[in-house]
Amino acid sequence: MNKKINHMFTMSRLLVVAGKGGVGKTTVTAVIARASADAGLRVLVVTLDSRPGLAELLGGSPSDGADYDGTMIQTHLGAAKTGSIQMRTVTAGEALQDYLATQGLALLAKRLVSSGVVGVVASAAPGIDDLLVLGKLKHLVGLTGPDGDHDLIIVDGPAAGHAISFLQAPAAMAETISGGPLRSQAIEVRSMLQDPQKCRVVMVTTPETTPVNELIETTEKLTQSVGVAFAPVIVNGVDISSEVSSLVASGEIPDGVLGDAMRYRATRSALHLQAIDRVHERMAVGSFALPHIATASLQAHDVVVLADIMRKAVGEPA
Amino acid sequence: MSAKKIQNFSDIITTSRIIVCCGSGGVGKTTTAAALAVQAAHTGRRVVLITIDPAKRLADALGLDGLSNDPSRVDLACSGELWAMMLDARSTFDDVIRRESRDLEQQQAILENPFYSNIASRLSGSQEYMAAEKLYELSNDARFDLVVVDTPPSREALDFLDAPQKLMNFLDHRVYRWLVMPARGGLRLLNFAAQPILKTIGRVIGADVLADAVNFFQAFEGIEDGFRQRSVAVQELLKSSSSKYIVVACAHNDTIQEAIYFTEQLAEANINITGVILNRLQPPFGKGSSAASLTAARKADKTGDSAVAVLYRNLAHLRSLAEAQENALKPLLESSSGAVVVRLYQRAEDVHDLEAIAELGRDLVATTTTR
Repeated sequence: MNKKINHMFTMSRLLVVAGKGGVGKTTVTAVIARASADAGLRVLVVTLDSRPGLAELLGGSPSDGADYDGTMIQTHLGAAKTGSIQMRTVTAGEALQDYLATQGLALLAKRLVSSGVVGVVASAAPGIDDLLVLGKLKHLVGLTGPDGDHDLIIVDGPAAGHAISFLQAPAAMAETISGGPLRSQAIEVRSMLQDPQKCRVVMVTTPETTPVNELIETTEKLTQSVGVAFAPVIVNGVDISSEVSSLVASGEIPDGVLGDAMRYRATRSALHLQAIDRVHERMAVGSFALPHIATASLQAHDVVVLADIMRKAVGEPA
Repeated sequence: MSAKKIQNFSDIITTSRIIVCCGSGGVGKTTTAAALAVQAAHTGRRVVLITIDPAKRLADALGLDGLSNDPSRVDLACSGELWAMMLDARSTFDDVIRRESRDLEQQQAILENPFYSNIASRLSGSQEYMAAEKLYELSNDARFDLVVVDTPPSREALDFLDAPQKLMNFLDHRVYRWLVMPARGGLRLLNFAAQPILKTIGRVIGADVLADAVNFFQAFEGIEDGFRQRSVAVQELLKSSSSKYIVVACAHNDTIQEAIYFTEQLAEANINITGVILNRLQPPFGKGSSAASLTAARKADKTGDSAVAVLYRNLAHLRSLAEAQENALKPLLESSSGAVVVRLYQRAEDVHDLEAIAELGRDLVATTTTR
C-alpha cells in the first residue's frame, strides 16, 4: 500500500481490469466501481461476456446490465449523492452492428448478423472482434467527462490469458489491414490505449508466488507490445493477522490443533506479505492490498466493505 | 475394467485409459492433473500428461521447455513412466493438415495461407480441438497406457467435447460452401466479386484479407472428408467409456457454480463425472466448530489470558471459513452424486516442484473419499 493509489479513480477515463483466472478479477471490478461511485463518480461498468455475478456484486439483480444498452444499478451514492453505477455488456456481434450503423450500413448490419456472416468476419482477420469491442469502448470514453455521461469506465477484462491478445488486437490490425475504415479505427484505438490519461490496465493478483510471477510477466508483455500504462496493482484476498504473527514471533505456540492452526495462519501471512513486497518492488505504479473476506460466497455487502477500505486509501477525487 | 465399480481415486488412476480434467481457470487444474499423472506413474503405469499453458514453475518442474509438441520423459524415480508435453495447438493443427492433404501442393497452399494461421491459432475451439486430437493420437500410441489431459480453461465443458464438431461446422459454414462452390460456367471469381455482402465485408476488413479466406477454403476443398472422419473418431473416443472425466473446483461460489454447470453439460452429453477434486480447501483443524472456538476465545478474554484468546480466535476464524466452504460445496456434491470426491487442503506453502506435486498425488489416493 502506498501513496501512488491516490489518484486511482481519476488518473484515467478507462480502467481495464485484467488478471488470470481465479484471482478475483470480477470482484475487484465491482470493488473499484463501488469505491469510485462512493467517492461521487458516475461509473460505467462494462463486461465483455455477461459474466454472471457481477451485477449482483454491484447490488443489482442477476439480469441487470446483461444487454448492450445497459442498466442503471446504483444512484445517489457518496456524500454528495452524485455517484452512480451503470452496467452494460459489449459483445463483438453488437459492436459490429453498431459500427456498421455508424458507417451508414445499418440495414446490411442486420442481414450480416442473421446470416452468420459476422462469425465469418470475426474469424477472417485476427482480432477483428476485439478491435470492434475496443472501438466501442473508445467511443464510450469519448462520452466521458464533466459534460458527458460518465466520469469513469471500468471494464471487467477478458478471461485468463486473453488480455494480451485483446489489447494487442488494434496494433495487429493496423498492420494487417492495408486500408479502409477499420484500419483508421485500429490506429485510433491504439493511440487511446497508449494514452495514460485515457486508459490504464488494473492488474489483479492473489498474494501467492505463481500468480505474482505471471502478473510480472503479463505486465512486461503488455508494456512492450501494447504500450499501455498501468494503474496501481490490486493484490486481492490478503490475509495477514498481525496478532497471530506476533504471538508466533514470541515463541508461545502450544501443541495440538491450536498450535497447528496458528503456524498455518502465520505461514500464510508471511507468504502474503512476501508476495505484496514483491509486487511493490517490481511494479513502479504501486499496489493496493484488498483484505481476504472469510466467506465462500462473496456478496454485495462484502463489496461495500472492501470498497470502503479502498475509497479511504484513494481519497476523494479533486 | 468397467465390471468393477470405481470407489476412489486409486481405482481411477489404476483402471482408466484416459483421464480428462475439467474446471474453470485458476482452480489448480494443471497441478492436480500433474499430481494424478505422477501418482499413476508410481503405480507402474506408463503415463503421458498433456498440459495446456502451464505456469512457468510447473512447466519447469515437469521439465517442459515449450519447444516441443511431442511428449518427453520426465525424470521421475517410479515403477512406471511419466511423460509430459505442453500442447502447441498450431503445430498440432499443422500435423493434421500434413496428414490429410492429398499432395504437397495442397499442403503448402493451406499451411502458407494467412487465413489458416488465424484459424489454427485463434479461432475459438481450435485449442480445444487440438487438445482432443492430441489425446486421440497419444491414446493410440503404444508407449503409453494412460493419457491424462488438462483441458483449456473454459466456461463450457462442451467446448472440449464439441470442438471437433464445431470446427467441422465452421469449415462447413454455408457462406464458405457457397464461396468455394464451383460456379456455373467457371465464373466463381466474378460471382464472388459481384456479391454485395462480400463487397461490404471486403470494404470493412480489407479485400486482401477476404481473398485469403476464399483461397483458404478453395485450397481446403477435398480434405474435409478425411477431417470429418477423424473428428468423428475423436469425438467417439471422448464420449466412450474409456474416457473418465474429473472436475476440479475450489470452494468459491463462482467456481462451484461453474463446476455444477460443467457436470450438467456433461450429463446432457450422457457423460458421468467419475471424480470430483475439491482443491485448496481451508483445513478445518480438528473436529470442533467455529462457535465452540469463539466461546473459548471469549472466556479467555474474560480471564485476561490474551494469548489463549488469540489462539482460539484464530482457530475460530479458520474453522468458520472451512464451515462456509463446506456449505457452499453442498450443491456441487449433490449434482455429482455418482462421482468419487476427494478433498485437498490448502497448503501453507505453494505447490510448484515435483516433490510437492507427488505429495499432492499421494493425498489424492490416501484421503478417504467422503461426500
